[in-house]
Amino acid sequence: MKKIKIKELIEKIEGEAELDFTIEDGRIEDVKINFGFYRGIEEILQGRDAWDALVITPRVCGICNHAHLIAAVRAIEDGYQNAGINLLLSEKAKKIRSFTLACELIQNHMKWFYMTIVPQLEAYLQIDNRQNHALKATYLSSTVTKALAIFAGQWPHSSYAIPGGVSCDPTHLDLMQAEALIDECIRFVEQVLIGMDMAQYLDISSVSQLHEVGGDLGRLMHLIGSSGMATLGQSYDRFIVFGESLLSSSGKSIATAVSKVDPRYVQESAQDESMAKAVTYKKRLYETGPLARGMVAKRPIIKSLHKRYKDALLTRIFARMHEVSLLLTESKRLLRELDLNEPSCTLDIDTRCADFEGTGIVEAARGSLIHQTEVSGGLIHRYEIITPTQWNLSHGSGDEHGIAVEAMIGSKSIQEATFIFRTFDVCSVCTTQ
Amino acid sequence: MGQVQHSKPKLLWLQSITCNGNTHSFLNHPDIFSVFSGFEVVHHPVLESEYTFHDLAALKIPCDILILEGSFIEKGLTKNGVEVSKMITHYGNEASHIITAGTCATFGGIFKQKDPEQISGFCFDIEQQTERYEKFASKLISLPGCPIHPRWLAYVLMMLSQGKKIAIDRLHRPVELYGYTVHTGCTRNEYFEWKVDTKGYGLKEGCLFYEQGCQGPYTRGSCNKILWNDTSSKTRIGTPCFGCTEPQYPKDRLFVTRTNMGIPATMPLGIPRRAYLTLTGVVKSFKIKRFSQRLLEYDQ
Ligand code: SF4
Ligand code: SF4
Repeated sequence: MKKIKIKELIEKIEGEAELDFTIEDGRIEDVKINFGFYRGIEEILQGRDAWDALVITPRVCGICNHAHLIAAVRAIEDGYQNAGINLLLSEKAKKIRSFTLACELIQNHMKWFYMTIVPQLEAYLQIDNRQNHALKATYLSSTVTKALAIFAGQWPHSSYAIPGGVSCDPTHLDLMQAEALIDECIRFVEQVLIGMDMAQYLDISSVSQLHEVGGDLGRLMHLIGSSGMATLGQSYDRFIVFGESLLSSSGKSIATAVSKVDPRYVQESAQDESMAKAVTYKKRLYETGPLARGMVAKRPIIKSLHKRYKDALLTRIFARMHEVSLLLTESKRLLRELDLNEPSCTLDIDTRCADFEGTGIVEAARGSLIHQTEVSGGLIHRYEIITPTQWNLSHGSGDEHGIAVEAMIGSKSIQEATFIFRTFDVCSVCTTQ
Repeated sequence: MGQVQHSKPKLLWLQSITCNGNTHSFLNHPDIFSVFSGFEVVHHPVLESEYTFHDLAALKIPCDILILEGSFIEKGLTKNGVEVSKMITHYGNEASHIITAGTCATFGGIFKQKDPEQISGFCFDIEQQTERYEKFASKLISLPGCPIHPRWLAYVLMMLSQGKKIAIDRLHRPVELYGYTVHTGCTRNEYFEWKVDTKGYGLKEGCLFYEQGCQGPYTRGSCNKILWNDTSSKTRIGTPCFGCTEPQYPKDRLFVTRTNMGIPATMPLGIPRRAYLTLTGVVKSFKIKRFSQRLLEYDQ
């Protein structure tokens, strides 16, 4: 058998990654994923004021910075609670946070679809299309981040979520502007992404109805189906979700059997030849992200796709893009339900806690994000960040390959494998922090 | 028309130690493709561009305008087997203009904190000129901000594509952008004038300078003049300014105002302490009822 090794640089993800392929008899036999530079955010935080994490941790990642903010604030809040300070967030604050986080996910998914998946698939299938797909991505993402900025001041790198709530104090004028922007996003998604009415689209519950989906999503699904790629990219069929969110509650799904999870069983371990650490749950690897959320929430259309294609790339891609419509619909509901009479922040300005330990979990675009902070004398003693990409993109542990590695193994070509790789929405900066 | 096309300046966007936040911030610019249309984008971290990363690392790309994102390190950051510092120096030499996009590339920023000895901005290490300064100063434009403001970068790019000269200060920041302080245009200005601090987080009323660490009065930048996402700013929605455009960013204890005997330790830009204290004394001797009330109430 002749084995060959090929190095491939993957660019235009969030940063770059190097994949070392081992190919045997024309098939990918193994892949090593190498991410670049360790920036040391956790170390930078050591010795700083506990609240500084709200400003520093978003800088882990330019595309999911808001999720880091929410994880950081939850870690402090959890710590305050553990130390006996009763922090009851108002419904208003919770809803505003859910709203801004939803906006960030929508922004992320749309960029991934139009700037990564569509152009890469077209290149792979040698379809000559000179459309500027990125224009669609930036139109939608800049519209939805405007809605986010009404509450958070700016995106990227807001620090508006503070222990006890949010720093903004919106008016009805703000709500109306935000709703108009969300409506604009809905219109865009209906007319361009899914080619149909959003409510009708969200009613689709089985694969047999998917042909009704039009727009760029319909076209992409069709391309994948007709080129025989739908079943490629299967991994272990194990999914995990730690955060509670608009999209699902926490839990794990092994194939379709859903059960509870306890974050205490999460383990991080260093990997050779890589700056990224691997994470396991009770020593096993799990996929995290939109597909995991869809499976744990037992969403009918995701389960129907899964029944036919398992955790293949078609299911994975659809699960991510499906979240866009779900989140837009939920966002609009949240805006309508906001009661502006409630307080934005319930923590008294003079209440500060000097010694605590807390954990903050959030569902980010790529999956579960965990922050842990240990504070003594008001200063951060230890800070730990576990990002979603550490679940999906590690080399593996023990005798199991990593999730994305397993999905790539067996591919017929490097192009095929790298396309599968990108369906995980790769982020190099998050993986190495 | 053909000729004009060929004469477009070649724009290369290069990343060093970064979070990609400047890239994503600029993607928020509603007219980003119109701005880019004045250039031939030879390489960009996420947008489709003419050359691949292989070409970039092989130092094969032509470059007129170099946008640098991320902190600088001489050794230890390699991509495709090539030191990024080598790429930066090479393309820096080729380019006729270098824009350091963001505080990391300009002064060192957040990622400098990991290894302050080795990591810095490209031509400045905090405020000190680095050994590269002399060589590149004539083509250097600094655009600090964590992240960069999309409209600030668009302004610089459009000025360059029209061949206009950009007035800069001693740290090479365009004065049209950094001549202002963040405090200029903040919706809380009345409260600042009358020294009324906010009673807590999550309120429209009150200024964040006295308790919550707002650095707006001594931070250069036009965040409250050219709004973020064309919509708002930190201080407008009740978050203190962290001074992210300043060379010293990030300071310690970002949510706390350091004080001397109850007076903020750092004075508003250019204001003598005595002037500040005099004014404060006068202003504080009055109690203005309007400033002790809520701006508006819904539930009565
Ligand atoms: S909150 Fe900051 S920027 Fe706004 S008025 Fe007060 S000091 Fe100035
Ligand atoms: S308000 Fe201050 S911290 Fe915020 S972006 Fe502007 S300069 Fe940076």
